[in-house]
Amino acid sequence: MIEEVFNVKLPVNETLTLKRNRFCPEDITTSTKRISIVTGIHGDELEGQYVCYLLGKWLNEHPEHIKGIIDIYPSMNPMGIDSITRGFPFYDVDINRIFPGSTSEFLPGQLANAIVESVKGSDYAIDIHASNIFLRELPQVRISKLFADTLVPLAEKLGIDFIWVHDAVTVLESTFSHAMNTLGTQTLVVEMGVGMRITKSYGQGLSEGILNLMAHAGIIEKKPMRVCKTAVSTLNSNVHFINASTSGIFVPTLEHNVIAMKGEQLGEIIDPLLGCVKESILSPCNGLLFTIREYPVVYEGSLIARILEENKAEKQ
Amino acid sequence: MKEELLFQIDSLSRGPMSVKAFRFGVPDATPSCVIVGPMTGNAIDQLWIASHLVRFLRQKELENAGFVKGEILIVPTANTYSFNMGKAFWPMDNTDIDVMFPGYDKGETTQRIAAKLFEKTNNYDYAILLEARKDHVECVPYVKILNTENSDVEDARDFGLDFIYQKDVDPIDTVSINYNWQVWNAKSFSIISGKKGTLRKIESGKVIDAIIRFLSLKGIIDYKVFQGAKGNIVTKESIEIIKSAAAGLFDALAQVGDHVAHGQPLARIYNALDGSLLQTIVSPSEGIITCRYDYPLIFQNAIAYRIAKLSNDY
Ligand SMILES: [Zn+2]
Repeated sequence: MIEEVFNVKLPVNETLTLKRNRFCPEDITTSTKRISIVTGIHGDELEGQYVCYLLGKWLNEHPEHIKGIIDIYPSMNPMGIDSITRGFPFYDVDINRIFPGSTSEFLPGQLANAIVESVKGSDYAIDIHASNIFLRELPQVRISKLFADTLVPLAEKLGIDFIWVHDAVTVLESTFSHAMNTLGTQTLVVEMGVGMRITKSYGQGLSEGILNLMAHAGIIEKKPMRVCKTAVSTLNSNVHFINASTSGIFVPTLEHNVIAMKGEQLGEIIDPLLGCVKESILSPCNGLLFTIREYPVVYEGSLIARILEENKAEKQ
Repeated sequence: MKEELLFQIDSLSRGPMSVKAFRFGVPDATPSCVIVGPMTGNAIDQLWIASHLVRFLRQKELENAGFVKGEILIVPTANTYSFNMGKAFWPMDNTDIDVMFPGYDKGETTQRIAAKLFEKTNNYDYAILLEARKDHVECVPYVKILNTENSDVEDARDFGLDFIYQKDVDPIDTVSINYNWQVWNAKSFSIISGKKGTLRKIESGKVIDAIIRFLSLKGIIDYKVFQGAKGNIVTKESIEIIKSAAAGLFDALAQVGDHVAHGQPLARIYNALDGSLLQTIVSPSEGIITCRYDYPLIFQNAIAYRIAKLSNDY
């Protein structure tokens, strides 16, 4: 059932509409569980589009297995998605920094408010992000330490490669996930793949993981699968950030999603004008190369890679 | 005056971004004041203000070597790259430098720019940021202070501007330079004015006068100034927000700074294809227009005007 949750008229003969697709059983009671799948807050991140499609397809094919309410919101920033624009077009603002919003704010704040009001009351929510266009990411769930106790066990149901528990940062209180977690909806943020692209295998893996989570929560009837591949990082210090120390063109040496050894070359920053290597980037530890730079042009400071140090990661 | 290279960021194909600063007066003399210009590359008013303050102080100091009694540092902008290509935010990843403070010297490029800028500006008695509004509005010049333990409305009155906006701290404010200066015990202010992408010389002139007045009243420069306004304290509650009910072509009838009466027409919105009148926006209260939507096409439910309501509590 397609429902409109927000409408606003645009200046020249167009209406901006936020839509969701609701799947639900015949009978709804107060104990019926509800999950919201949200994506596209960043208009240049498309990995979630494929996940929404796969979930919708499964639900269309198995209506008899639907025991709870599943709301799918594929496009929280409709103009952004249709124009390769990360933020809310015209206002040039990151919607994921203005939650919970309010009706008295500027338009992007009203949109954020409409999203919150619409998702509010869900037992669970999953906010699917791709990485931006600069970085390629292994599928991962990011959880603020504040909510780790309840959210880590939930995230494990997704059978995802990696759960990253990070420190609570004040500025992240203006994200969708923080707003929803504060309102009592257990909300997971998934990051995977790269901006402007779809990685089919990641989409398939995550949609299976979400079906599994829904099965565990009694939202669908399906044999829960056994999940075992999650590596949990509970401390920030397990994750090493590698940034460029000079400007140039980054060319990777290692593939994404491999174990890098301490001192091994991850890539080089080259100078196309001079025809020389400006910086050779080495791994600071043994560990999983879960983030690698996709976009070649770098400045000093540009993030090149992130590595989950091996011996410190708790294997589960 | 001493011209300094604060720091430099290199680029693959462009010349280096050199961030310059201008120092006046006696090193380490008190009171000291730092003035930081815009971090978004379309804040032309603020660049004008910063550069004309440099010009003013340079000329006065040439006339009278003891003109600056304290110490003043002016950083006209830490984002020349964006100015040179008509872009608001950082050219590479569209990030806003003013949400990166106090910065991180091992982090992303804009975190590093923030760290370098903060390191050079965080130990002054007074700190002033020249800011353009990030939404699509034109506004009267006003002082913004963040509500923290350190904020001081009385100091803000020395600018002599009509309005002082006392803002509660939102999560996003905690990563602004203004907030972080306060954490480090400076008395910090944002001066907000004008309209992005244009030069409003009259409003900018008011800001230049306001900063000169402030420097004079604080004993940082030796200069006689005219009295300014006492400063009306404005909070979120004292601002009336007026939204558009229709979308289309936006014809503003009332301008920023206008004193408007209850029921006065403020703007008209027309259908953008057939020209029919869709809405006449009228003022719901008496007051002064502090902000006006600044683009001739308007969305439905956009904030068209903000009015400081007339009441006795100022
Ligand atoms: Zn995102």
